[in-house]
Amino acid sequence: MLHNSMTEKQLYANIKSGGENSLFTTYEIIFQQLINGLIQGSFYALVALGFSMVYGIIKLINFAHGDIYMTGAFISFVAFSIIASFSEGVVGVVLAVIASMLLCAAIGFSIQRIAYKPLFDAPRLSLLITAVGVSLILQNTVMVITNGQFMFFHSAIDNMAGVRFGENIGISFLEIAMMLITAVLMIILTLFISKTMWGKAMRAISTDKDACRLMGINVSKVIGLTFMIGSALAAIAGGMAVIYYGQVHFFMGYIIGMKAFTAAVIGGIGSIPGAMVGGLLLGLLEAAGTQLIGSEWKDVFAFGILIAMLIFRPNGIFGKTTIERM
Amino acid sequence: MFKTAKNLLIIIAVLALAFSVVACNGGGSDDGTGPINLGVLLPISGAQAYFGNDMNNAFILAVEQINEAGGLLGREVNLLPVADDGCDPMMAAQAATRITSSDAHFVVGGFCSGATIAALQEFYDNDMIMVISASNSTRITDLNLNQSFMINSPATHQVDKLVDLVHHLGVTDVAVIHQGDDFTQNLSDISNVKLPEANINIVTTQVMEIGAPDVSAIVTAIRHAGADLVFWAGYFADGGNMVRQLRQGGFEGYIVAADGSSSIEFIPATGPAGHGVMVLSTPNAQLAAGGASFDEAFIERFGMSSGSYAAHAYDTIMLLRTAIENAGTTDFEAVRQALQDIEYRGITGLISFTPEREIRYSNFLVLQIWDGEYRLLPGL
Repeated sequence: MLHNSMTEKQLYANIKSGGENSLFTTYEIIFQQLINGLIQGSFYALVALGFSMVYGIIKLINFAHGDIYMTGAFISFVAFSIIASFSEGVVGVVLAVIASMLLCAAIGFSIQRIAYKPLFDAPRLSLLITAVGVSLILQNTVMVITNGQFMFFHSAIDNMAGVRFGENIGISFLEIAMMLITAVLMIILTLFISKTMWGKAMRAISTDKDACRLMGINVSKVIGLTFMIGSALAAIAGGMAVIYYGQVHFFMGYIIGMKAFTAAVIGGIGSIPGAMVGGLLLGLLEAAGTQLIGSEWKDVFAFGILIAMLIFRPNGIFGKTTIERM
Repeated sequence: MFKTAKNLLIIIAVLALAFSVVACNGGGSDDGTGPINLGVLLPISGAQAYFGNDMNNAFILAVEQINEAGGLLGREVNLLPVADDGCDPMMAAQAATRITSSDAHFVVGGFCSGATIAALQEFYDNDMIMVISASNSTRITDLNLNQSFMINSPATHQVDKLVDLVHHLGVTDVAVIHQGDDFTQNLSDISNVKLPEANINIVTTQVMEIGAPDVSAIVTAIRHAGADLVFWAGYFADGGNMVRQLRQGGFEGYIVAADGSSSIEFIPATGPAGHGVMVLSTPNAQLAAGGASFDEAFIERFGMSSGSYAAHAYDTIMLLRTAIENAGTTDFEAVRQALQDIEYRGITGLISFTPEREIRYSNFLVLQIWDGEYRLLPGL
């Protein structure tokens, strides 16, 4: 897009000298890296929410969650390839992501029913291993369908258009939209958890499942709903990743799964605002680490700070200390 | 007492069984009859699975052609099922044991250098010759194992080409990005030595984790460092992402990608942002002089076009065949010497080996993505 209209000579003449390029002020750098960190953090936060919700309600670290994100990305990709023939712009993209959300919610629900529910009374470790198994099943299914190849995607949405602040700094409309969508989803989810009966039931189940059952709450339905919401959020993150990064691969859920799990732990696993803050914080720390000491050390930098934080708040930022009464 | 004695007996029996399995290890032994077995080390799971499957298809094609033409030394050539290294050193060590404990006489394959390195010692210990199809880290040379031969131009050849290109473009400030694995880091390390020797400044070296989605922070750091040219030492899919984000993030200088990105898939991966990006590449079937007929046969057999390293894989088998024919036997030392002395013209070019068993002549080209296609860069 950037260079398509240029002739070869223009392309070569376009090289700025190093001195010109490096005229960044400290504020510009901080501002640009802040934007970078927030965008990356939005992805982590969306995926972390699913981790945190599921853990909160059935104390399961759902290792398959990163792969739901990948499946969501894959379904968005396929849906958009179909829809693109009659609607290529924003409408098509939104439709594709909605289709992916619905399908992933159904997949999340089915996984819970088929793989996890029969094991709710088994030791936690069995459930954990099952989650690893589900993760591999999702990965390998997409691997077989795609023949292990990367799928590339270019939407008609122009990611170069955006707001510029001076010579060096800018944020595209797509990036603004993604951050807004994340923020809105988080607000809706928070309201849902705190204001509705379903949300209340979720909170109650996370405190004491058996008592809820005695009180007449349909525990199995609420758990099913939790999986559906978590999976739909991961699917939205996956759909956004397809549009923004333009590629889908069966392995893409692995790294983000790990990072989102970390974000959930930092925020206080089981806590909804914790997952959001944890995700954004991890994104920001990674951007800061890249700028300050280089990308080789960015994970060391980010995780070093996170470990230090966990020493002072072992249950995470928003985690509660539960007291066992005998 | 009785129980202890029984347990002891069981332990002894199990140990005896284990040792007998080890002792039965058939790798490398050959009585001169029956098929010649080729062990295959490739990634067929994980992020590089596509390349592994593609290269194995080329092996299958080559072996079928040899057998149709009457075999090798009057014997059938038999390709064993792929031992999956998953592009992972730990998996590769297990895969190597699988190969040495099978009936393999020779080993072919090797895509990810880190995985290949982890497997090579096992082959060396079992007197098993390996012709390495794609891995080209100079760390393989550093191992100095006398039975491993690299047919892909090593990283040093590639960096020499990069130096020529940077001088040709007339820039001085270069940023290097690698992916933290053995192959790409090796390339970055060599660049960090050779570029300054040629009066080129490396203004920053960055790492993009394999599969990391967001690299905008790296882009900002590179722009801040004032680079005129970015040398992307990594693989094509992440490379696509990197190129797009470099352009989105406002980097306007040259982008040169290493051979890990030299794939037809790199073009859709980069999309419109890829226009003008240069790629250092060894010749693949689509670019090499004799590649067209190979690619046709490949399409006919597998229903799809061959990938970046399929031609190297095909050359691997044909080179090994020529060496065995020259030796007139499958004896380890005779074939090893025949490989050391060989001059073989394959699809990817002329193959002969230095005393360190690296390919002697560099066959690197500079390609450029132009209007959605590769073209050979004029003047290089």
